[in-house]
Amino acid sequence: MNAEAQRRRTVLQTLLLSAGFFVLVAISVASILLVNKSREDNSWVLHTVEAENQISTLLLEIRRAESATRAYLLSGGPQFLKEYQIAAASVPAALDQLSRLTRDNPVQIQNMAKLRKAVEQRLTEFARGIDRVTNNDVSTAVTALRNGTSTGAVETIAEVGRDMRAEEDRLFRERTETADRTQLLASSVTIAGSGLVLALAFGSVLLVRQSSRARDLAETRLRDANLNLEATVDERTADLREANNEIQRFAYIVSHDLRSPLVNIMGFTSELEELSGDIFRRIGGLTQAATGVPPPAAGEIALEGPDQQLSADFSEALGFIKSSIAKMDRLISAILNLTREGRREFVPVQIDTRELIEAIVATLAHQASEAQAEIHVEPLPNIVSDRLALEQIFSNLIDNGIKYLKSGVPGDIRIRGRTKLGYAIFEITDNGRGIDPKDHQRIFDLFRRAGTQDKPGQGIGLAHVRALVRRLGGTMSVSSELNAGSTFVITLPINWNASNRNSDQ
Amino acid sequence: MTLPVSIIMIEDDEGHARLIERNIRRSGVNNEIIPFTNGTDAMRHLFGADGSGLAQKGNALLILLDLNLPDMTGIDILRQIKENKYLKSSPVVVLTTTDDSQEIKRCYELGCNVYITKPVNYENFANAIRQLGLFFSVIQVPPAAS
Repeated sequence: MNAEAQRRRTVLQTLLLSAGFFVLVAISVASILLVNKSREDNSWVLHTVEAENQISTLLLEIRRAESATRAYLLSGGPQFLKEYQIAAASVPAALDQLSRLTRDNPVQIQNMAKLRKAVEQRLTEFARGIDRVTNNDVSTAVTALRNGTSTGAVETIAEVGRDMRAEEDRLFRERTETADRTQLLASSVTIAGSGLVLALAFGSVLLVRQSSRARDLAETRLRDANLNLEATVDERTADLREANNEIQRFAYIVSHDLRSPLVNIMGFTSELEELSGDIFRRIGGLTQAATGVPPPAAGEIALEGPDQQLSADFSEALGFIKSSIAKMDRLISAILNLTREGRREFVPVQIDTRELIEAIVATLAHQASEAQAEIHVEPLPNIVSDRLALEQIFSNLIDNGIKYLKSGVPGDIRIRGRTKLGYAIFEITDNGRGIDPKDHQRIFDLFRRAGTQDKPGQGIGLAHVRALVRRLGGTMSVSSELNAGSTFVITLPINWNASNRNSDQ
Repeated sequence: MTLPVSIIMIEDDEGHARLIERNIRRSGVNNEIIPFTNGTDAMRHLFGADGSGLAQKGNALLILLDLNLPDMTGIDILRQIKENKYLKSSPVVVLTTTDDSQEIKRCYELGCNVYITKPVNYENFANAIRQLGLFFSVIQVPPAAS
């Protein structure tokens, strides 16, 4: 799984989601618009129907007026007069209503004008007929009625009414079609949009599945890598342990084997020393015999001049050899002890740390009082560890604290402790001469020391302490400035860890 | 000593052998000292050509043994001496540079009679050997026979 593909997929995912969102918005907007349009179309259709209705109503009223007029002419019944009056009164209202309804259409306005004229003429004719009947001039009225038929107003009304109906019919068809189209459009848009959203959702699902598959794969690989890493670490640890063991064995064998020749060197040097004593005594005796002085019965024979010088040089040379051998022997012993410590098996026990340190302080009390040092032990966390190793660690550090105080300044050594994340942290602080920061690494090296060399020592203590701390599964550090005291910090696991190097063998 | 006791010295370092011999002599021990610088020769001398130890029957032996030998470890020699019916009563003094407590314990478990670590300091070394010599001059050594 490379990062480029991952990025591309993320971008695509975002794009898909945004696209889906926009499609949804567009569909919503389009739906609202189309629904409004559809409502409008429908109202227009309704309008047309109403107009047609109105035309029919108008024509019906005219017919009613006409038939009432005729009936009145024929019978002279007052109920027909009354009917005529009702019909005639409703005609102008119906006409106005129709005119209002058709106001939007120029063709119908024209038609309306024609219709209105014809209707008015017709109404006038009716009124005239009624008047004549009222004045008992029935024959004239009948004639007039007959003429009226031939004046064309009736035809005009019929014609215009047909036209208007035809016009409204046309409009009705047209508007119905528009409404249908709008509805079709609306449903198409909805269907298309839904389809698109579905498609986008499907794409998203595909992408999500793909990326989750990729994630699963990555997870599996990570797990494998972790396992591999652990195996590798184990392997390396084993290698390191093996290497360390080898170094220890090597150190042991070398230091051991170096001792044998050292015994010879030391032995024969001593033999030589005795021989030299014999030789120079003999030289002295011979010299004295030559000069005629009787040799003393016993004791030292005094040498003179160059002989004395020779003897002194000889002794000096032997002295250097012997002191060097002694030093070499101490170093070899130190290495041997270190390797022996490195091979010792730890025995983890619950340790009352404070009690342990106070016991150490008690054994160092004499040195402390000689150095005018006070040792304060603060409450310390208890740990499970190797007692002997802890004793060696703390006694070395406290001993160092007492040993390297500033002359003339009363010593103050403090041991503090705290816990953090399963580790106990111990701090051994002194107000002594301190360690130059450039020597902070050096002091932990075997046979290396720092500062004024006015105290006896081999340069082993701290190397030994650090080796022990490491073997116990902890770490060790120092913070110090020259002439400003030192603080050694030891971090040890509170609980014994089975993976600690219990044995190097 | 009532019997002429032979001191078998198995020591690969000739310098050490010389220093040991010198200091033993200085303590007044005049017994025969037979030095061997390797385990094989010493074994042949102790156990004879047939390896049974019969060759030493009746001889009073005192064995000075170094543990670090070029061809075998002194521990092996010690074990074989202490398992051999003719030699097992002969005192064995382990004289070596090793001061490892495990090693010391092991030697005594195998039947070594004295374990001495060679001090590097010659005075101490000489002193130890002389005292050993004094010890030799007073101890009784049984003949290698049962």
